[in-house]
Amino acid sequence: MIFGKSKATDEVPLGLALTLEEITNRYRKREAIRFESRVYTYQELDEEANRVAGGLASLGIGKGDRVAMMLPNIPEFVFSFFGIQKLGAIAVPFNTMYKGREISFILKDSGAKAIICLSNFSNLIQEIQSDCPELKHVIVTGQRTFVFVEPDGTVNVQMVFEKSRFPEPSDAFHTIGGALVSAFKELGVKDAWYSHQGAIRSSGKKLATILLSEIENLYVCNIMTWLQQMDTAPLFKVLYVPPEIKERALEPMTSIKAETGQDVSLDGFKDVLVRRIGAALGIEFEAGKLTRDEVIAYEKNRALSARI
Amino acid sequence: MATKETWRLIYNPEGDVADVVAYGASVAEGRIAGKYQLSTTMVPDTLIIQRSRERGIIAGADVGVEKDLAAAQKITVARLARQGRNGAKAVGTIQLNELTSKATSKFKAVDVDPDEPAVLIYTSGTTGNPKGAMVTHRNFHFQCSTIVQSLLEFTHEDRVVGVLPLYHIYGLANAMVVTVHYGACLVLMPQYSPQSLLETIEKHQASMMPAIPSMYQLLLGLARIKSRQVRIPTCLKHCMSGGAPLPLAVLKDFSEIFDTKIMEGYGLTESTSSVCANGVDGVFKEGSIGRPGKGVEMKIVDDQGKEVPDGTEGEILIRSTTIFKGYWNNPAATKAVLSADGWFSTGDLGHRDADGFYFITDRKKDIIISHGYNISPREVEEVLAEHPKVSEAAVVSLVGPKGDETVTAFVVPKYSGVNGATGAADEAPTHRELHEYCELHLAPYKRPRSYVIVDALPKSATGKVLRKELRGDAEDRRLIERSAP
Repeated sequence: MIFGKSKATDEVPLGLALTLEEITNRYRKREAIRFESRVYTYQELDEEANRVAGGLASLGIGKGDRVAMMLPNIPEFVFSFFGIQKLGAIAVPFNTMYKGREISFILKDSGAKAIICLSNFSNLIQEIQSDCPELKHVIVTGQRTFVFVEPDGTVNVQMVFEKSRFPEPSDAFHTIGGALVSAFKELGVKDAWYSHQGAIRSSGKKLATILLSEIENLYVCNIMTWLQQMDTAPLFKVLYVPPEIKERALEPMTSIKAETGQDVSLDGFKDVLVRRIGAALGIEFEAGKLTRDEVIAYEKNRALSARI
Repeated sequence: MATKETWRLIYNPEGDVADVVAYGASVAEGRIAGKYQLSTTMVPDTLIIQRSRERGIIAGADVGVEKDLAAAQKITVARLARQGRNGAKAVGTIQLNELTSKATSKFKAVDVDPDEPAVLIYTSGTTGNPKGAMVTHRNFHFQCSTIVQSLLEFTHEDRVVGVLPLYHIYGLANAMVVTVHYGACLVLMPQYSPQSLLETIEKHQASMMPAIPSMYQLLLGLARIKSRQVRIPTCLKHCMSGGAPLPLAVLKDFSEIFDTKIMEGYGLTESTSSVCANGVDGVFKEGSIGRPGKGVEMKIVDDQGKEVPDGTEGEILIRSTTIFKGYWNNPAATKAVLSADGWFSTGDLGHRDADGFYFITDRKKDIIISHGYNISPREVEEVLAEHPKVSEAAVVSLVGPKGDETVTAFVVPKYSGVNGATGAADEAPTHRELHEYCELHLAPYKRPRSYVIVDALPKSATGKVLRKELRGDAEDRRLIERSAP
């Protein structure tokens, strides 16, 4: 006898959201999700899904609208998925390893009004957002920043300045992006271009990332670029990625050396960058160090960063 | 003459990973303190340029990094402090927890037409852009209430391992939606490694696991290598394998060592995942995808769409309530695969035996036509995979600059772990050895003309070989090119 293995459950209603509501009524206190050391009951899952539905509704999302999801297997995936279903909207989940045009095609084709993604994917989305006119909301979750730095390749640049300097965040992006492009061109990367909010590219690959964050009255701009290609082999010994998808795990990146064949020293890069940013913002620079109060904050932040 | 505004430049060329995190944070904190006049000196706008003299990972609060592995690679991990609601956030984004904290926990689901799409899942074809498969509420409901129910003993007591990515139909339907349908518990794994999977099964005493062949293979390898150090979980009641064929040896050994049953399923995004399964009630036929589940019709047809007798190869067609509604905004593509009377053309070639078991022989589009002969890459791959030095192989036709086609085999050498700590693969087979092996087992026109030894084959999230990447004719869609001015 091949059929009829499971005991037929009492009829579950048609419709994903109704199913969750019915199951929640039956098994309110039962475990629905286990995630690391947390357990969510059906009641909690249902309430979280309700909050997502309410939150999305407050953004004007409703029946039939498409909501993209770029999330790994975390509870927020389940909350978001059922929240979208409660609205009668359509979930568009896609591969978290997608990059560039793979993402923009799906967002454009589906006409998604919103995307729910990990905070560290926001950079990928913002870079292509101007190609996706229907995408109005980038909703982020989780604190899954993951950045690899390597002595020979990576340069980290940070800028902290008053928001009031620029009328709109996009102006800050444009000005900083423009300054970076002119610096890269001066260093011989002829085809460097500023690709919307988030990246400088050359030969289609990423040459620098620009992440603009806001906190109170400030913008904090984190820029990362590469003087030469990184050796990522040690990284993959720490982070397990099945060999067959390694190629897809990292964004295609390039470096000044890969684009020009030239070695550029950190000092050389700094001099060009400082001059170009100065020119773009109409400012001068004076070498300085942290103030006494900042040193206290610096020590505290160093101590926090060492906690695993 | 107006003097230019002066920013502070902090240059730290010999710092470490913690500096990369701490400098920016301390300057931001200093400025915010200045705003509230807690500090006596106003901190100027600042540019910081840094290089870390050590390799490092900057990790957000939710990222798990194995400390010992990092230390072994001389990689320092700098942890970002958890950002509260008032912490820094990327401009132009909305925090999900901020959005949901303003919303009420009460919300009654709106009425939906069960035949409207619940999800769009984009699938990549052999050519062209991906297509958004519309999977409806009714599709999911039938998958859970009828097909799964006919194949497995699923109850609300079950704990299901959520290791397959939920963005894929296999994980979405057969891990997440089915769990909720039966009121069971989903054990989520945000990041897969064989070790963490083994630990998760044991820690949470999982009873069901949908997975892909490579996961079973690696778990088995781990269980063998570490049988003295780790506990082999025996809590799994049922396992499902899909996405790619599961070698019989793996199925047998895994079932024995983990004291479980494995069922091999077959399905596509367009059929809301599994429609048939091999191994139901312990009836297993090697190399088969099994028999259709309840409420599923399957048939084999020739090029004219006429059903062929058992044992004859043709295309596999499926009709079931789980067959999707069509491709989003793409009626032409929908019409090409979905007939007016509901039959879905899978694009898979195969046959049925007298007992009603189905066998897949190849993908229709992968068939290589060389000098007028049809070559099934899968047949050649199976021969190569039996070579003692070969783990797996993929065969494609490479087109040379003059348009000449060469049947080429990409071969992954076997990895048995004999090289211990170095982690290196075993000795790779030579081209001559491979050729001689094919001479013994394959007709002349089927033998590959060239061999390429590779570390791994490019694969999709569920372990399907991405042939177009091997052919090298896939455009790299990860790139962003500047559009013409």
